[in-house]
Amino acid sequence: MSLLSVARLAKTYGGAAALRDASLTIEAGEVHALMGENGAGKSTLIRILAGVVQADSGEITVAGEPASIANARDAYRLGLRFLHQELNVASRLSVAENIFLGRAYPTRWGGLVDWAALRDRASAALAALSASHIAPETIVGRLAVGDRMIVKIASTFVDDASAPGRIFVMDEPTAALTSEESERLFRILDELQRRRAGVLYVSHRIEEVLRISNRITVLRDGVSQSPIATAEATREMLIERMTGRTRLEAAARPRQSTNARVALSVDRLTGKGLEEISFDVREGEILGLAGLGDAGGDRLLRALMGAMTGGSVAIAGEGVRPRGPAEGWRRGLAYVPRERRSEGLLLSQSISDNVALPHLNRLSHLRLFLNRLAERAETAAVGRRVRLRATGPRQRAWRLSGGNQQKVMFARAVAGAPRLLLLDEPTRGVDVAARFDIHALLREIAAAGAAVVIASSDREELLALCSRIAILTDGRLSRIVPAEGLTAARLLALCYGDDRV
Amino acid sequence: MNSPAIAFVRRHGTLIGVALVVVYFWLHLPATFLTGRNLLNISQQMSMLTVVASTMTVVMAMGDFDLSVGSMASLAGVVAALVFLAGGSTAVAIGVALSAGLVGGLLNGFLVAYVGILPFILTLGAMTVYGGLAFWLSGGKTLFGSAIPHGFSDFARSGIPLGFDLTFPNLTLLALLSAALVWVFLEQTVAGRRLYAIGDNAEAARLAGVPVRPLRFASFGLAGVGAALAGLMYASRVASANPTQGSGLMLDAIAAVFLGQTMTEEGEPRVLATLAGVLIIGVLGNGLTQMNVDSYVRDMLTGAIVIAAVATSSLGRRRGE
Repeated sequence: MSLLSVARLAKTYGGAAALRDASLTIEAGEVHALMGENGAGKSTLIRILAGVVQADSGEITVAGEPASIANARDAYRLGLRFLHQELNVASRLSVAENIFLGRAYPTRWGGLVDWAALRDRASAALAALSASHIAPETIVGRLAVGDRMIVKIASTFVDDASAPGRIFVMDEPTAALTSEESERLFRILDELQRRRAGVLYVSHRIEEVLRISNRITVLRDGVSQSPIATAEATREMLIERMTGRTRLEAAARPRQSTNARVALSVDRLTGKGLEEISFDVREGEILGLAGLGDAGGDRLLRALMGAMTGGSVAIAGEGVRPRGPAEGWRRGLAYVPRERRSEGLLLSQSISDNVALPHLNRLSHLRLFLNRLAERAETAAVGRRVRLRATGPRQRAWRLSGGNQQKVMFARAVAGAPRLLLLDEPTRGVDVAARFDIHALLREIAAAGAAVVIASSDREELLALCSRIAILTDGRLSRIVPAEGLTAARLLALCYGDDRV
Repeated sequence: MNSPAIAFVRRHGTLIGVALVVVYFWLHLPATFLTGRNLLNISQQMSMLTVVASTMTVVMAMGDFDLSVGSMASLAGVVAALVFLAGGSTAVAIGVALSAGLVGGLLNGFLVAYVGILPFILTLGAMTVYGGLAFWLSGGKTLFGSAIPHGFSDFARSGIPLGFDLTFPNLTLLALLSAALVWVFLEQTVAGRRLYAIGDNAEAARLAGVPVRPLRFASFGLAGVGAALAGLMYASRVASANPTQGSGLMLDAIAAVFLGQTMTEEGEPRVLATLAGVLIIGVLGNGLTQMNVDSYVRDMLTGAIVIAAVATSSLGRRRGE
């Protein structure tokens, strides 16, 4: 009898199928890995198990009993425990308080918290994980990330006679851990197996999955494939299963002339989470930044925009080292940040205010008084270039659709005819038509001689746009490969550290 | 929640309320309320508040507050009086007092922009520091007497003759001039636009090349100068200075900006709207005083009106959040 069995789960969000046919089983004492690309349906499956959303169809069985999970309380009662990659800890409370967070504290004298008992029971939970190095009275905010993760795990271990934890769902648990901390987590997984608990282990890290899991289920486009015994699995097999049949990108890539002049030269750049990165981009070239998870593409763009701490950057042979975004824009850099709502747009202001913001010195009288006519004329001109659909330059940004908001960000970036365009996930959350427009615009800008650097987790996008792709691994540049002839699967393999091209 | 009726009330509710209040006073005080003399009187009473509320609008456009303006106004008045007592000329006294405002404001700005203290907490501290300083310098007494030159106190008591035995007060003129300068700064300059960008989304503004820190630094300096100017105006009007005379200005200024925000399209602070807010507070105070209503009732009503105005303007607001 399986500890957990889900069969033929399907879930549709407003017409878009997130999960179409997902089945898997977890046996007692098993670590079962779940893999798949972004958008394959992993998160949806976890959300269904956690009771955050309900499946449209399909069955869930826990220890042989049909189970319905309508909310988080049901999931808890069934013995399901969840560990997310974002650590939701109350960082000002103690370890012991965090372990008992959301649960009844032990009490005495008719309702007062029994702090000694709380500490002892927290100690016992930590000792069960061989984590006695964490003192229960420590304030959680002072712990390292890995130890916070252990506190979270310990809180799922506290004995609860009415609903003992028996199935542990871990979503990218090692994403923020050092290798040493990961090793400690793996020892905890061993301990869980010894206790005959089941673990559903979601991870992008193939090495890790091959090492610690018993079986692997791959999700692709919301459909699960039959599980593979880890002993028989290989890295290539998993990549192929995740990405599907490898196919060549059809869109025409701009031809790159190799004798074009160097537009951007980066030499031993360092910054927060970045180590000695060096590369060149030629005029008319689009360079992609690829990597797994938090590899550092976004940080590299921020570093170029003024957050760098060392190294040198030259544009068209002229040394520039902006000390902040203000100087970056002045020197001909343009930046489209990843989160358009929190980092990009002034939502309550007009399109024209949004577009003109970095260019106000140019679009003003004497760099002092506003020139609204010039702002609106410029906004109208670049708006046409990016095919912005709006009622006019005075429309408020919050009234626009996501795709058009993103086009406002592009209009802002191209208004100054930048020499270097830095883009972080330029088409995230954008519909197909807007995405097409944005890609066309980028090719046009590159053809006009600007250097473009794009960080994107969308591999198809990088293959469609870029002439070369830089692979980043944990803040280091591991290699730069030509995009010509590359497939999405091959690129993914490169991101996973495969050295063959 | 987005019917045209609600949208109308949201945007114009404050004005409708004010119109009703004015009509009420007009009916009850037919002989004295809506007269040229009384309106000019109101404008003079409100002149200090107009200056402080205008410069407060600059700080609030960035999404910040300055709670220290009232204390700063008192301090500036005391400083000017001390210069007079030491034999200084009017020009020197005004110069020293305005400089004190600038230095105090820039100190606030430095601690907010470059050290990173929350404006609310910092200016709360600054409020008590500047207030205490005013007490210390004045010895806790009202400073007055022959040392305060007539030229200084006459300024507040005179104005431009309008005929019909009416004068347009100098203080009103000075207040309108200050508000006009702030309007030009906020609405017509690059720096003003950038302040609104900071107020909308400071991180986005920074990434789009707005020099956030220098602007915050300078804006608090401006608020300090505005407060000092208001303190001088008050000292001129009463021909004396005491360490608490500016204390009511801060809350009224913030209330005026809030009232104004309820009348603008996106709820952002605008100088012209702030002036309307100042007018509301002034009209209400004047009318109630004439009807012999106690000042604590006036305070209660002013507070209630601010709350009601903000409440109606948040009807059905918040798009998609």
